[in-house]
Amino acid sequence: MTIASQSSREAQTASPPAAAPAAPDRTPARRRTTLTRNRWGYAYVAPFFLVFGAFSLYPFVYTAWVSLHRTSLSNIDGGTWVGLENYRNLLTSEFFWNAARNTLTIGILATVPQLCLALGLAHLLNYKLRHRTFFRTVMLMPYATSIAAATLVFSQLFGRDYGLINTALEAVGLNRIDWEGGTWSSQVAIAVIVTWRWTGYNALIYLAAMQSIPGELYEAAEIDGASRWKQFLNVTIPSLRPTILFTVVVSTIGAVQLFGEPLLFAGNGTTSGGSSGQYQTLGLLMYQQGWSNFHIGQAATTAWAMFMIILVIVGLNAVIGRLRSRADR
Amino acid sequence: MATVTFDQATRIYPKAERPAVDALDLEIADGEFLVLVGPSGCGKSTSLRMLAGLEEVDAGSVLIGDRDVTDRPPKDRDIAMVFQNYALYPHMTVGENMGFALKLAGVDKAERARRVAEAAKILDLSEYLDRRPKALSGGQRQRVAMGRAIVRSPQVFLMDEPLSNLDAKLRVQTRTQIAALVKRLGTTTVYVTHDQVEAMTMGDRVAVLKDGVLQQCDTPGELYDRPANVFVAGFIGSPAMNLVTGQAVEGGVRVGGAVLPVPREQLARAAAGNGQVTVGFRPEAMHLVGPGQGLPVLVNVVEQLGSDAFLYTKLADEETDDVLHPSDVVVRTEPRSAAAAGQKLWLGVREGALHVFDASTQQRVD
Repeated sequence: MTIASQSSREAQTASPPAAAPAAPDRTPARRRTTLTRNRWGYAYVAPFFLVFGAFSLYPFVYTAWVSLHRTSLSNIDGGTWVGLENYRNLLTSEFFWNAARNTLTIGILATVPQLCLALGLAHLLNYKLRHRTFFRTVMLMPYATSIAAATLVFSQLFGRDYGLINTALEAVGLNRIDWEGGTWSSQVAIAVIVTWRWTGYNALIYLAAMQSIPGELYEAAEIDGASRWKQFLNVTIPSLRPTILFTVVVSTIGAVQLFGEPLLFAGNGTTSGGSSGQYQTLGLLMYQQGWSNFHIGQAATTAWAMFMIILVIVGLNAVIGRLRSRADR
Repeated sequence: MATVTFDQATRIYPKAERPAVDALDLEIADGEFLVLVGPSGCGKSTSLRMLAGLEEVDAGSVLIGDRDVTDRPPKDRDIAMVFQNYALYPHMTVGENMGFALKLAGVDKAERARRVAEAAKILDLSEYLDRRPKALSGGQRQRVAMGRAIVRSPQVFLMDEPLSNLDAKLRVQTRTQIAALVKRLGTTTVYVTHDQVEAMTMGDRVAVLKDGVLQQCDTPGELYDRPANVFVAGFIGSPAMNLVTGQAVEGGVRVGGAVLPVPREQLARAAAGNGQVTVGFRPEAMHLVGPGQGLPVLVNVVEQLGSDAFLYTKLADEETDDVLHPSDVVVRTEPRSAAAAGQKLWLGVREGALHVFDASTQQRVD
């Protein structure tokens, strides 16, 4: 995960309370007492903001500052001012566009099946099952598994020569696939890892939302003649709409920041994302620029570009959500 | 339109000690408005849900018309239900809510719109068809729930306490509207309530349930005048009937210091169990008599209602003013009567207004 994008996420969640206390007009005496009282309030929240400022806001702004310099990891403060040159370089770099395209395709390949699967699983778990708690716990296990451990197992599964999947393909008479070598195959493999890790997590979020749907709605729909499927379409999905929007946003942010899975999938710790960069994501590219090529200024630029992409996506989602709710009224 | 028959219908919840509904036998005529009433946990809602198909039937059967629907899913029963909290689909407009069942049934759009508009007109909802439920008041939501039921012109309406989420005034208003509407449509209706006033005012017949067992099913008048047992006697009527248990003696039943006269033959049958007889008399069946002539009581509280006054009294000893029995005896009197708290009065029971029950079986004796 990048310094910049992580801090940006915190900045979004943390900004409202700072703007909150707007004092309405009061008599001077009253104002003094509220000020005194507020001073204690500020004192209590101060530790958070100090830590937030030191470890989130400052690095966030500093990353922007660094992105305007040509500088290396060993000499961060001693770079030369280049203005927006790093940004110009980034936008004309084929590596950036390759990484952006890979991030997009892997993102779609991972997010769409992930959320659909999660919805289906949540629906199944919402039925009265034996050992329901057990199944719900199992759902969270991939999420609790270390990404390194998971990816190790998966790169064995997707191995070309001794991989379990290729063995299975051969057994049914199909050709072996060089999962790591191909563009689509490597991206599919990485999407499978991401999907495996996050489906249960999203399913639990959907399940929690489903449990707050009143049972009478389903009974009413049943009497109205709706089949199970129609009930799912006409009662469950509309009731889950805000939750679905939330998971789409969170998964999209996760997809833009995708780093660990492609790094570990390569198997040798290189950040090139395959021999021809066929699965190099933006996260990998940034790491490569900063920590392999020591162009920390360029890396900071990529970090900011990723942050912008997330801002645009989240903003688009908010606009769509607002338009929909306005149309609803 | 159709009849509805419960034939020994029984529902036993898993791990329950006794059935929620125990061998319910009930015949509801075509076009009849039947009210199921009883205290909470009596099985009235469960009975309705068995008819709706939302609850399994463990024994016996349920028939709509001549069709045995015991094992049929709700959608094959041609019923419509109004829920206590309305269960309107929050993301659909009023019109979509009302037309949803028709849409699922494959009714074409024009016909659907026509029938929704028709129902909306009846319920005075025409201007709200494009609103969502959350933009409506409680009373309007209730009407949408009604509309969703009548749009389908089903064979049977099922209503599960549809008025209990309304405020007292609106409830009385809506009560008469629903009764009139259902009468006009002529659809067989089963209506569940815990409110005996609602039951008495709306029902063609009223079925009283207790602990999953049907106590009595009769017209409101009969239920009031001839309750089949002590439970029904105490449940129907507001304020409730006064019920006192006493020893059978020569010429009547001893209640406190006085003897309430009961015909000899009736008394003999009522006392056949253990010699104890429960007598009941309604608040309006009493009148004040001269000192030393009837039941001596001490006035505890006086409730002025404007049209009447209710005296909440306790049975007292003839000579001293000791209270003999902790339960209230309620008396309806003229408004602004002179009675005041702490006063001692003597009450007589009007001729023929005494209900007599065997104290051991709790059953009515005539």
